[in-house]
Amino acid sequence: MNAWARFRRNRLALVGLALVVLLALSAVLAPWLAPYDPARQSLIEKRARPGAKYLLGADEFGRDILSRVIYGARVALLVGVLSSAIALVGGLLLGVIAGFAGGWLDAVMMRALEILLAFPYLLLALAIVAALGTGTLNTTIAVGIWGVPAVTRIVRGSVLALREAEYVGAARALGAPSPALLRRHILPNIVPGLIVYGTLFMANAILLEAALSFLGLGVQPPTASWGLMVSTGRDVLLVAPHVATVPGLAIMVAVLAFNLVGDGLRDALDPRLRGSV
Amino acid sequence: MLTFVVRRLLLAVPVLLGVVFVVMLTIDLLPGDAVTLMLGEHATKDAVAKLREHLGLDKPFLVRYLDYVGRVARGDLGRSIQQNRPVAAELADAWPATLELTVAALVIATLVGIAAGVASAVRPNSLFDGLARLGSLFGLSMPIFWTGLVLIVVFSLWLNWLPVGGAGSLSHLVLPAVTLALPSVAMIARMTRSAVLDVLREDYVRTARAKGVGEFLVLARHALRNAFIPILTLLGLQSGQLMGGAVLTETVFAWPGLGRLMVKAIFARDYILLQGAVLIFALAFVLINLIVDLSYGLLDPRIGRQG
Amino acid sequence: MRSRGSRLLIGLLVLGLAAILVPSAGAQKRGGTLTIVRPTDPVSLDPNLETTAPGAWVYFNMLEGLLTLDEKVQVKPALATSYEVMSPTKVRFKLRPNVKFHDGTPFNAAAVKFTYDRALKGTPPARWASLVGSMDGAEVVDDLTVDIVTKEPYGPILRTLAMYCMGIVSPAAVQKMGADFSRAPVGTGPFKFVEWKTNTHVIIERNPDYWGDKALVDRVIFKVVPEEGARMIALQTGDADMVLFPSPAQLPALRKDPKFTVHETTGIRVVFVGLHAGQPPLDDVRVRQALLHAVDRKAILDNIMEGSAGPARGVLAPGVFGYKDMQLERLYPFDRGRAKALLGQAGWTPGPDGIMSKGGQRLSLSWLAARGRYPKDGEITEAIQAMFKEVGVEAKVQILEWAAVFQQLRGATFNHHLFTLGWVTSNADADYSLYALFHSKNTPPTGWNTSRYANPRIDALVEQARRSLNQTERERLYGEVQDILAKEMVWIPVYTTKEIIAARAGVKGFNIHPVEYNLALWKTWLDK
Repeated sequence: MNAWARFRRNRLALVGLALVVLLALSAVLAPWLAPYDPARQSLIEKRARPGAKYLLGADEFGRDILSRVIYGARVALLVGVLSSAIALVGGLLLGVIAGFAGGWLDAVMMRALEILLAFPYLLLALAIVAALGTGTLNTTIAVGIWGVPAVTRIVRGSVLALREAEYVGAARALGAPSPALLRRHILPNIVPGLIVYGTLFMANAILLEAALSFLGLGVQPPTASWGLMVSTGRDVLLVAPHVATVPGLAIMVAVLAFNLVGDGLRDALDPRLRGSV
Repeated sequence: MLTFVVRRLLLAVPVLLGVVFVVMLTIDLLPGDAVTLMLGEHATKDAVAKLREHLGLDKPFLVRYLDYVGRVARGDLGRSIQQNRPVAAELADAWPATLELTVAALVIATLVGIAAGVASAVRPNSLFDGLARLGSLFGLSMPIFWTGLVLIVVFSLWLNWLPVGGAGSLSHLVLPAVTLALPSVAMIARMTRSAVLDVLREDYVRTARAKGVGEFLVLARHALRNAFIPILTLLGLQSGQLMGGAVLTETVFAWPGLGRLMVKAIFARDYILLQGAVLIFALAFVLINLIVDLSYGLLDPRIGRQG
Repeated sequence: MRSRGSRLLIGLLVLGLAAILVPSAGAQKRGGTLTIVRPTDPVSLDPNLETTAPGAWVYFNMLEGLLTLDEKVQVKPALATSYEVMSPTKVRFKLRPNVKFHDGTPFNAAAVKFTYDRALKGTPPARWASLVGSMDGAEVVDDLTVDIVTKEPYGPILRTLAMYCMGIVSPAAVQKMGADFSRAPVGTGPFKFVEWKTNTHVIIERNPDYWGDKALVDRVIFKVVPEEGARMIALQTGDADMVLFPSPAQLPALRKDPKFTVHETTGIRVVFVGLHAGQPPLDDVRVRQALLHAVDRKAILDNIMEGSAGPARGVLAPGVFGYKDMQLERLYPFDRGRAKALLGQAGWTPGPDGIMSKGGQRLSLSWLAARGRYPKDGEITEAIQAMFKEVGVEAKVQILEWAAVFQQLRGATFNHHLFTLGWVTSNADADYSLYALFHSKNTPPTGWNTSRYANPRIDALVEQARRSLNQTERERLYGEVQDILAKEMVWIPVYTTKEIIAARAGVKGFNIHPVEYNLALWKTWLDK
């Protein structure tokens, strides 16, 4: 049974996939889907309750929350996808280098990773954002860098294990050069696990972007970010709960979607990984 | 055993030195400076220069680094730049609160997570299993700062059962601990479920069942015991995550812990205070992982002790 | 009140007795604990190390200066009973007799000299050393007489001595406690220190040996609650009697609710959008004026500040000595047509994307701001950004944390056109703001002329006013400065802060002060 067939049998994973597609569509089609310009203010309609004009209500500037949630999908997806790419590519490179080089280089790299892992992650992200400046791209980089150490560890572990494994040993004995060894034997074994990890990481990346924006270190106005929307909405939580609740739900649904897909992929691609990533 | 512990602790020293170096470098590279921030809008250039000199901030980076390391080696964490107070005293004030919160969250997460995971595994694909799995996915997917806000509205404002924020009594601890624990409950429940399921499929469990050993005993003696190793690994990792997540929880609930202390130190560019706090975090992280590794050996003597 | 310099220092002080003998209204109750929630913990309780509000709110109740500012921002006696101007650079104060510090040691001229020497000549000097202009120190004349000396004639000296951070400390306690003094200060005030648990609370209690009217409540607890929403809930559930920085959105409901009282008064901080006058296109006064016409300040006050701030009538707040109404409503009403017309006169025409352009250059302005430094600063920045767009001006906002904003504002070069900032005139004297903000020699990195505006006439006027001891003349000079600024407009003044404190209705006798630091609690009592 191939992976897609296994994935398709998982109803929760399909729900997740549908949500991810929905998210992607709303990000791509935002200008057509959103009833209003997400930056259009109407101060007099501040904190309007959900109703006919504003389906999900309006925020503290009288901006349409539905439109901002739709546009916010762009930031969430952009940060999620790009930062996963940074984490995966960076981790893959470092992990392969460490795994192959061994010796003192490996030892130094592992110590350096431990330093990063011993760092409270939010502090690390805070520091990166503070150093690079705020903004969508810098937030993405910060989130991506945060993911590098874990990926490096996973890749290095796999490389070490595979290198010792018999078939690679055999390939080496036959004189296969390292790049070919990497391409033919090691990458195919690592990639499924990385795809799974990447998907689950996207879920965490969306959460971390939201957390950074919540602390005021994320995207810049008037760009709509869900985390920023919760952050500014919390001041009026008691008089207008919808301002913070709606974007909070959006974060939850998006993260849930990626978690469902990630779980489904794991079960489908590599049943041995179940519960271990 | 003892040599193992000593070796591990010695190996932690370069890590801690590195952590201090990275923290200090980061703060140095960040725009903004502790003294101008402290003296505020009205300060004259001269006053800023004088205070910088007094605090030794005009010295080169490496000199300050070696200075700091030397002092820490003698057991002196220095004085915070902004408050001019011993960092040790600041940490002593904040550390117990974070410990209390993290331990409470860890206990909640472990008890609820393992109970839910085992219950799920015993009757896989039952209604309870479905609900528990979905619930744990939601737990993983909710932003911690948002969960906190929602809990405050429900339990403090609407029901008026629990205080809004601050520390002091057990009732103050409930909401932040639950908030912080939620994602970990989910992780632990998932892990427990799959670990117990795996063990239940093993031959020796089947044999035990076939021999007529009661279901409860099978669970307790075999399944749970063997499932404990992956769960323990996860707990080690989770405690690191919990301490990190505490920054947000402490902000939302006004919890007087290390997380808030660190955020404050970053915003004030108080690198002496920040370094002290990060050192404690890093040390705790190292110790927790050491304890986790040691307990592997206790739970399963077959596992060797490789550093 | 004797005053040998006749014209000098016109009747600012009234004999101390007048303040003390005011009959107490109603049936005051003694006792009880007043619980106050506020967003942040103090940096320190020693004014030498702390000039910001979180510390000042607490130590203002424990430490007293020679003079103080009353709720009408007038100078009133505190530990001094009278003064006499000896020369343009020397003022002699008679001190209140039989006053004791909380540690039992006597208050005297030596303590005054000790406090000011420690602050101005210590290493490092006090955090407020930059706030006191030309003040040089104190000289002991006899046990209860002290001379305050300035380096040059300094018009604002009395208001400076009345600042919240000028409290006299016990020399014995400072010497005994060393660095620990900053966590447990000893002064002469109506309350004395009990306990400070970092990031949790500070407790102070009534000083039973106070020289004046003794405080009415037994103790005051200042709790830290960073979340605005959480502070409001604490008030509603009764966990707190008083909330500093209440949520503006909830004030309308609180004002109607008989269970609560909202205390409010116009503050002395002006929050504004600064314009970098040295950088094109804002070096053109027509562009600056156009930006003023583009901003609907009333909509901001009504919908973002929601009654928690007053209109900004100029660069100074109305309570400040030397303030003059700059007539902004009349000169620069909200009028998009006029904004566009002024931009047209300056050569800017609408471009294809709706943004104004001139010679192929789009009218795009870069804007630096922090969020949470001043009430709703991030929000007003976002709102004005949208308003600019309506007249074809693009604003690219960069919101950074305060440390980074601060550094760039004070840097020798500033690469943004606009910035959001607030300025409080702590001693309520125009010198404090007009000299620091508009004198060309205070252009960063030296000072806070962050608009980088240079006008020799203003330089001359603020210098003359600073050196004059004739208050009428000073007022006239400052008026002229503000007339010039009203034409030049290097700021968009957005609002004047209101000081607002929400309390439970049972909190009586509390008088809110226009200067946010001056949180006086000794007349407050609890009717529970």
